[in-house]
Amino acid sequence: MSAARAAVHVRPAETDLGGGATLVVESSHALPLVWLTVSLKSGTTLGSDDDEGLLRLTSRLMRRACEGMTTQEIDATIDRLGAELVIEVGPSAVTWHGQVLKKNVAAFCALIAKLFGAPTFPEDELARLKRETCAEIVESRDSDRSLAAVAFRRAVFRDHPYARRATGRIATIERFGRDDVLACRARHYVRGSLVIGFAGAVSPDEAARHAEAIAASLPASPAPPRDLAEPTIAPGRRLVFVDKPERTQTQLIIGGLGSSTRDPDHFALSAAMAIFGGTFTSRLMKEVRSKRGWSYGASARLSLERRRHAFSMGTAPGAADAAKCIALELELLQTLVDGGVTARELSFIQRYLSRSHAFEVDTAQKRLEQVTDEILLELTPGYHADYVRRVEEVTVEAAAAALAARISTRDLVITVVGTASELLDEVKAAVPDLASVAVIPYDAD
Amino acid sequence: MPKDISAVVEKINVSAPSSDARWAFEGDVPFGDLEAGVPLSAMPVVHRLRLGNGLRLLLLVDRAAPVVAYYTWFRVGSRHEKPGKTGLAHLFEHLMFNETEGLKAGDFDHKLEAHGAESNAATWVDWTYYHESLPKDGLGLAVKLESERMARLVLREPQVTSEKEVVANERRMRVEDDIEGAANEALYATAFTEHPHHWPTIGWMKDIEGFTPEDCEAFYRTYYAPNNATLIVVGDVREAQVLQKIRDAYGAMPAARIPEEDTRPEPVQRAPREVELARPTATTKLLMGYHGPALGDADHAAATVLSEILLGGRASRLYEELITQKELCTEVRGWVSTFRDPGLWEMYATVREGRSAAEVLDVFEAATARVRDGLVSDDELARAKARLELGALQGMDTASGMAEQIGFYDSLLGDPAGAFRKLEAMRRVTAGELRTVARRYLRPEARTLVRVVPEERPHGATTTEGAAEASA
Repeated sequence: MSAARAAVHVRPAETDLGGGATLVVESSHALPLVWLTVSLKSGTTLGSDDDEGLLRLTSRLMRRACEGMTTQEIDATIDRLGAELVIEVGPSAVTWHGQVLKKNVAAFCALIAKLFGAPTFPEDELARLKRETCAEIVESRDSDRSLAAVAFRRAVFRDHPYARRATGRIATIERFGRDDVLACRARHYVRGSLVIGFAGAVSPDEAARHAEAIAASLPASPAPPRDLAEPTIAPGRRLVFVDKPERTQTQLIIGGLGSSTRDPDHFALSAAMAIFGGTFTSRLMKEVRSKRGWSYGASARLSLERRRHAFSMGTAPGAADAAKCIALELELLQTLVDGGVTARELSFIQRYLSRSHAFEVDTAQKRLEQVTDEILLELTPGYHADYVRRVEEVTVEAAAAALAARISTRDLVITVVGTASELLDEVKAAVPDLASVAVIPYDAD
Repeated sequence: MPKDISAVVEKINVSAPSSDARWAFEGDVPFGDLEAGVPLSAMPVVHRLRLGNGLRLLLLVDRAAPVVAYYTWFRVGSRHEKPGKTGLAHLFEHLMFNETEGLKAGDFDHKLEAHGAESNAATWVDWTYYHESLPKDGLGLAVKLESERMARLVLREPQVTSEKEVVANERRMRVEDDIEGAANEALYATAFTEHPHHWPTIGWMKDIEGFTPEDCEAFYRTYYAPNNATLIVVGDVREAQVLQKIRDAYGAMPAARIPEEDTRPEPVQRAPREVELARPTATTKLLMGYHGPALGDADHAAATVLSEILLGGRASRLYEELITQKELCTEVRGWVSTFRDPGLWEMYATVREGRSAAEVLDVFEAATARVRDGLVSDDELARAKARLELGALQGMDTASGMAEQIGFYDSLLGDPAGAFRKLEAMRRVTAGELRTVARRYLRPEARTLVRVVPEERPHGATTTEGAAEASA
């Protein structure tokens, strides 16, 4: 901890590393720590459905073996440096998130360069990782929230790449061989895709040296094409019931297609959705939790991605209240879309979003992430910097028009994790104009 | 250079309306790692102050961002409850966001959100805290709202019933329908028979359902008083302004008589205990607890380091053996409880499908025997310490993170910079001390085991009605 903390916030510096690679640096010496993100403009949307899980498997295998180092040696080295290294695979990026004690940043970056540049992909480690991944998929079924999220995403996006799960399915994971992994690495891990970010106790010059070493470890190839179709949603209200025994509580996610950051009404829709379910005093929270006590949490959100992604409402009522809660949420959504928001609500949320923006930029790490998000998710340039101004410009009329144009109360997915034998009929009756019902065992692949 | 606050205190005290509203300056505490090479004169300090009515204030000025974190820690948690009234401290945390004499239900959150604030609260065994993070010009609002609910909360229907229902749903989410939550509850209920660790902080469902507004009112009048609270303010603030605002808002509150502790120490466990739960899950889970040290015990640092060597990260002994080499488990982890009284040294494992719990338990038993009988290597020790150093710093990058650490260590150890003292203590730990704590705590007879086993059930099938549905 140093006393030299000064509140000077300008946009983090971006540097062209050449060959398509980019470096973003946000220095801060408040703590003797360095945050490092090494991202590739890649992600699950670049493969095919048959590849579901391959990119994550490949990335994890790269972390586990490289020339001259076994898994155990790599892990021990990371620990010895006082570091952490975690891989996250999303629809539009693969990111290696690192944190390290300041004194060891050079050694940590050298290790990452080695993992990127000299992976060995041993057959025995691949086989072990496949077994581990399948076991993790089985284990993830213990989380009802995760079951709801996976089922919701698959039902909303169906054949679109956004439906894919980064972890994959047991059926796809079991199929992958070393050749698949090698091809995946060759396609995705290229210099032209790299976005490297440093935040914390590192100078721009020091960061540039480390970043160049990491970039030099990858083939100097351009980024693979990132073509991605706009998703569409199937018509009608569709119920997806994930059947799990003995649930005293349900997990509900209701939603459909939401917003693209390129939509002219994106900020209007964001403000409206925040009014609906973005705060402790939102409409959803008031009606579901404060008035009725049905659910510990109640929220609505728009997910940001390169193309139009989902809007969703999430609640977790007790099983006895689930059907009533679904009916109420549908009614609240209809009221929102039909009636828009009030001037008072809008003024309140504008003030909230504007003032709370301080917490979006109060650490070097957050400021860095805003810039890398803009690059990786292809947000409109200056998306975060302009956010407050754009939200403050929203009018009641614009919010109403955005809701009417973008949020469908007809084409919706209603996802329930609960016990079907006790609840299914009641839930079906709570959804007017239900077009289809799918009941899925919670342990289906 | 931190400001000398004693002169500020002297100046403000001139206008104090009563002795209850006079500040006493109780010294500065360097807030940082004393072994990191930063000169003491350049290190930030936590100013320690106390009002005449007993309210304590810990103030750290930090201008890294134009924000302020405002925490109120009450020295009351589930440890202070009685059988039949468990969960009251936690229910109370919910009720504190409702009506006061000066605010209608919902106004509290509404006013904070209108200022762009984030707020929340937490309850555990030893404490309850409430916090706001605000843009720096929101300090006055936080002071006003927090002082209002400390003294003028209204506890009546229908809010009490509604919050009981919310808490019941929270319990369903965290315990009834959550395997780890259920296992954790069973572990403490089995390992502790006398001490209040026996019951869960969220409370037994029957107790939650039975609370009345009168129960809540009695609890409020007993524990929510200035002399049972500490305010922590961290952020871009001026010292004089903080002292003045807090003095004006809290200075007239009378101190209360806080009941003396009435806690029975847990008798020594002389034989292993075991409990089994059946749940709809594909795999067996094992949760073990050995009676461990309290946070303030000299052994706690060594136990934490040893836990890290055994179960901290992918290169730890048990991760490597159970997940990497033998592929017996999907997940393992460990934790030494950070309670004021001795808690449990916990170890958790998820057994892979097709592997047996007995195989996993054999490995755990061999690993604990090995650390009782031998010394860990220098490299293992160095790696664990480096990981713990990283972990200690990770939560300190925001005003709120620092305020939480200050509040936690002050509430439990009386030291607002306790996080750094703990880090320094962990750096000093030797291999021999690790062997000693292993011998002292990791005794087979002191272990409680919770085994969660898959329950038998018929296999379901996907069915569809209506339009064709994408498979999930």
